[in-house]
Amino acid sequence: MKKEEIREKLLDILRSASDDESVVDVCTDDSVLQTDLGLSSVNMLYTVIAIEETFNIRFEDVTVSSFRTFGDVVSYVEKKLS
Amino acid sequence: MKNEKKKNEKKRSPLRWLPFDFVRITAAPGLLWFRPKIIYENENAKKKIRGGALLISNHIGLFDPMYLMMAIWYRRHRFICKKELTEHRLGFWLRLFRCIPIDKDDMSLAALRRVTDALKDGELVSMFPEGQVSTQSESPAGFKSGMVLMSIQGGVPIIPAYIKPRKHFYSRLVVALGEPFDVTARYGARPKFSQLDEAAALLYEKDLLLAQLASRERN
Repeated sequence: MKKEEIREKLLDILRSASDDESVVDVCTDDSVLQTDLGLSSVNMLYTVIAIEETFNIRFEDVTVSSFRTFGDVVSYVEKKLS
Repeated sequence: MKNEKKKNEKKRSPLRWLPFDFVRITAAPGLLWFRPKIIYENENAKKKIRGGALLISNHIGLFDPMYLMMAIWYRRHRFICKKELTEHRLGFWLRLFRCIPIDKDDMSLAALRRVTDALKDGELVSMFPEGQVSTQSESPAGFKSGMVLMSIQGGVPIIPAYIKPRKHFYSRLVVALGEPFDVTARYGARPKFSQLDEAAALLYEKDLLLAQLASRERN
């Protein structure tokens, strides 16, 4: 799967869970999950679970601090799929 | 794969509850003497808890786990504790009693999976969603929304409980139990982020209601 496709799917996941889609629309790889996207630690774990189900992958022992930016998540999923 | 199988066998060992049951049986006379007065929110709350469930309560002191064990005496409990507690000598005992450690500042997916696996196995997991001991007043501090995520992933209801602070050490303990709260029935299997917080706020309000009910009881 191409990086662009992964990015789009991840944005869809965030859109479906987020109340303010405008925040997701301006999301870039450099967007910080906690400050720019406003994700709490629980929201981040919730998103990780949704990613696992969507891509049919299993995250290894990740913690809330494992990902800082949206790009970190895209790279992790890309690595898992390759 | 083999390691995982061994791990699962160990987890399902019939002896896994031995320390818990030993303490429960040997402490039974004492527990009978100090048994709490239980009050219920309504008829639904009176039903015995069967299968997997997440029991949440306010946190007023170190003996709260014991109080919850006395209130729901017919079930074995697995308590969620903060990770720091398992890093000392106490850690041996907490592991023996099958507590699940969680890092409050940097929660891991592995810890969440341990909780949800226990819930899916039909176990009763008990926790204090305030994340701290609040001794200042009878009202609990705000609840964190991690419990809501655990409940969704485990596919179990949340049972709110309230432990009324005692005026004197000899006063009888009062524990109020609320009716089960099913998060997925209310918000669906995939709620929005705001709904996770909303569910946590509703459960907090429920605990305040239980606090009011408990305050009417003399202890």
